[in-house]
Amino acid sequence: MSRSICVACAGRIVLQSREASVRRLTNQLSSNRTRYPAMYRLISGLSLCASCLEKLPVIGAAICWQCGREQETEELCQDCHKLTEETLQSNRSLLRYNQWGKDLLSMYKYRGEERLAVLYAKLLAIAVLRYHQVTSFDCIAPVPLHDQRLQERGFNQVDLLAGRLGAEMGVPVRALLHRTKRTAKLSQQTGRSAREESMDGAFSWAGERLGQAKAGSYRILLLDDIYTTGSTLRSCARTIREHAGSLCDIYSVTIYR
Amino acid sequence: MVREYLLYIKVGTESLRLAQAYVTPCFSVDQSFWQEREGCQLHVIGRSPSLVLAFSLRELVNAQLERRHAASKPLNEEGLAELRELAISRVRETSALYGREMAGRQPLQGQWFQWKQEDVSVALSRCNGSIENAEKGMGSLLEGRGLLWEEIETLMMKRAVACPDMTPILQRMVLAEKAEWRPGVRLLVKKSWWKHRLDLVCDRCGSQHENIELTVCHTCGQGCAYCTVCLGMGRSKCCTPYVLVPSRSPYAKGDGGAMRSQLCWTGSYSKDQAVAAEQARRYVANPRPGSREFLIWAVCGAGKTELLFPSVSECLAASGRVLIATPRKDVVLELAPRVQRVFPHASVIAIHGSSQQKWEDADITIATTHQVMRYYHRFPLVVLDEADAFPYHNNPMLYRAVSRAVQPGGKLLYLSATPPRYLQKRLVAKRRGGFKLDVGRSLPLLSSSTHVLLPGRYHGTALPVPKAVTIAGLHKRLKSNRPIAPLLELVRDSLQSERQLFLFVPRIDDVDKVLAYLTKFFPSDASLFAGVHAADSLREGKVVAFREKRYRVMVTTTILERGVTIARSDVAVIGAEVAVFDEASLVQIAGRVGRSVDDPAGTVLFLQADRSAAVRAAIGQIRRMNQLAEKLRSREEVQA
Repeated sequence: MSRSICVACAGRIVLQSREASVRRLTNQLSSNRTRYPAMYRLISGLSLCASCLEKLPVIGAAICWQCGREQETEELCQDCHKLTEETLQSNRSLLRYNQWGKDLLSMYKYRGEERLAVLYAKLLAIAVLRYHQVTSFDCIAPVPLHDQRLQERGFNQVDLLAGRLGAEMGVPVRALLHRTKRTAKLSQQTGRSAREESMDGAFSWAGERLGQAKAGSYRILLLDDIYTTGSTLRSCARTIREHAGSLCDIYSVTIYR
Repeated sequence: MVREYLLYIKVGTESLRLAQAYVTPCFSVDQSFWQEREGCQLHVIGRSPSLVLAFSLRELVNAQLERRHAASKPLNEEGLAELRELAISRVRETSALYGREMAGRQPLQGQWFQWKQEDVSVALSRCNGSIENAEKGMGSLLEGRGLLWEEIETLMMKRAVACPDMTPILQRMVLAEKAEWRPGVRLLVKKSWWKHRLDLVCDRCGSQHENIELTVCHTCGQGCAYCTVCLGMGRSKCCTPYVLVPSRSPYAKGDGGAMRSQLCWTGSYSKDQAVAAEQARRYVANPRPGSREFLIWAVCGAGKTELLFPSVSECLAASGRVLIATPRKDVVLELAPRVQRVFPHASVIAIHGSSQQKWEDADITIATTHQVMRYYHRFPLVVLDEADAFPYHNNPMLYRAVSRAVQPGGKLLYLSATPPRYLQKRLVAKRRGGFKLDVGRSLPLLSSSTHVLLPGRYHGTALPVPKAVTIAGLHKRLKSNRPIAPLLELVRDSLQSERQLFLFVPRIDDVDKVLAYLTKFFPSDASLFAGVHAADSLREGKVVAFREKRYRVMVTTTILERGVTIARSDVAVIGAEVAVFDEASLVQIAGRVGRSVDDPAGTVLFLQADRSAAVRAAIGQIRRMNQLAEKLRSREEVQA
């Protein structure tokens, strides 16, 4: 897609009028001055027009340090309090899931506008840069799609993102998991516990061996498009932990929270 | 369950020359089909999981067969071997070209396109098997529609038709030439002296080149591509079958057309309207296959919708279905009950993106532009309302969709107040005698076999002629709150004389600017001002409030340029020189004024920073229409 057309609203991107929004956003997202240039490069590379950039529902500074949800105070949120055993170190997301995000994501996922992968991968890169040391991951593991769903849809939306994000960060992408259960669509499930139950044991180890870790432990970045209840990501993390042992640390990043 | 498509050639026994290639997902169905009808020889060329590849090879093979036929060479073993060789080399070529486009990405299964050559020939002798009629139900269901495979599944589900496997039924329909199917996106290898390349065309909407995106597809595991233009209507891909079933028989439903076509309309036409409506009716009634298109050119406020009734009634009486296509959803929703009231015995449905009636059948279908894409050779009469409006104007995809919805030999009726030049050129006959260089500037003919022109309003008063005022530095004045005399005068007059005012601005961000400007000069009336634009979430409420006179001045972008009728209103355009205001748009804007009988006059003011050709052309057009209406009236007076 041409750089000069906004991928979200199909309006023309006028670079001059966008500059102020880019800077404001960069200031908001880069925690220190050394990150500013990298962040600026990423944000100005987004193919969004000024008004869509202004509309971007970026999650504020105060979040639940476990699941990345936006809230008033910086502590564990109610949902995370209930969790007894947590294999997922933390989740971080860039955007709140509002109507704008819903429409855009459904355009990508269900309508099949694969070109949006470029935008989403950049947004993910921004999230990673905002919350993590970029160099700190050993591999990116996308949440897999069930084979049958993949066949219907024709593409795996998370895989596309992982490939681009991996190239952006210089981290290898590895398919660690395999989806064994064909779960109903999120919209057709009601309630948190039903979701939790349906995700239980939905993944299996794809049989890949983890390589040499850079740091003391092997750090894995799980990737998904949206964190709703977190049961998908937790189920993935459990499966990885079972096979890779306690030597790995599992983090996750999603576009929406 | 990856499908495989088999490519074979059928050669009839009686005349060895008639050879044709077919693609099938279920060869056994084809075999039994041919056996029931004739003895023939089937030569299998090969198979592939890629639908698009199979079809592109079919084209290639058919072209080659035709060449052989022209040279009257029968198809022998040697010829077949040659064809198989040709297929293989084309597959290799396609794979290489696709790989070049996808540089850096890996195919899912070794190669981009897989092809398995097969060397089987089957001789079939005719035997009188039972000719099944399973396709009947599905045939009538799909009749007149052009749908992607997934859409057919949706349709069947909505109509509660159970069908475990549609493939054999569909294939029988294809072989019987009742239906046609192809890949959603077609692939051709374009060869030239400079560079060979892949040419991909979306068969549904006709888009090509940069609008087709190549992908690694997990559905077919082959080289694949999808169309980004008609994405909103379901993904048209290289591996999705696109099924077209033309409707040939007239649409018959129980009772005759007489009842359904009954027109219950209490209104009456003015003299000119009656003439125009009759002209259109005659065109629809004319059984001669002549011109396929007809234009009703009626100025804003001439009462266009009413003109249609006789034509629609005529078509219904001949037991035909009618489609009225219009660019906007609001118009669809407004039109449907109106039409239903006029035709109480006909079924009317409104089709738009979120319509529940999308998959139903009816006598009169009122649809938005995009939804028309799902129809194929269905309607004997298609009416295209506001043929000049966005998104129709200059959108070949939608024109294509509309003309494809017309049955062969059917009629297409354009309705417009400002027909685009290309329609004028095609359908409006030039004045005979005296060749004029500038066709657009001379008075057009009132009617011909392909158009009718209604230059006057239904109440017979002339169209208000806009006043153009050039103000140097208009936008700067606006920004710095310096007075703009003609604008302020108009607003003051309008407020004092209890009239309503539309203020058109070129861009969304101008809405707030102008609102702030007005508030600065008329602080006490600030509550009477409102602004609206396309992305405004309160848009509908504001327009309603304006209709109810709770707001007196409405600052708006071009979204209100048509379809809104408000009595006792004036109009001003601020920045009429900006490109979004073209001739048609300005004429439409001027057409907002003086639409009711009790207030046929009003002010139309075009404020421009520079002189613009569009403004001059719009004023010229309005003047010409008035002139023409005047002439018509004087002629009538002479006759009377």
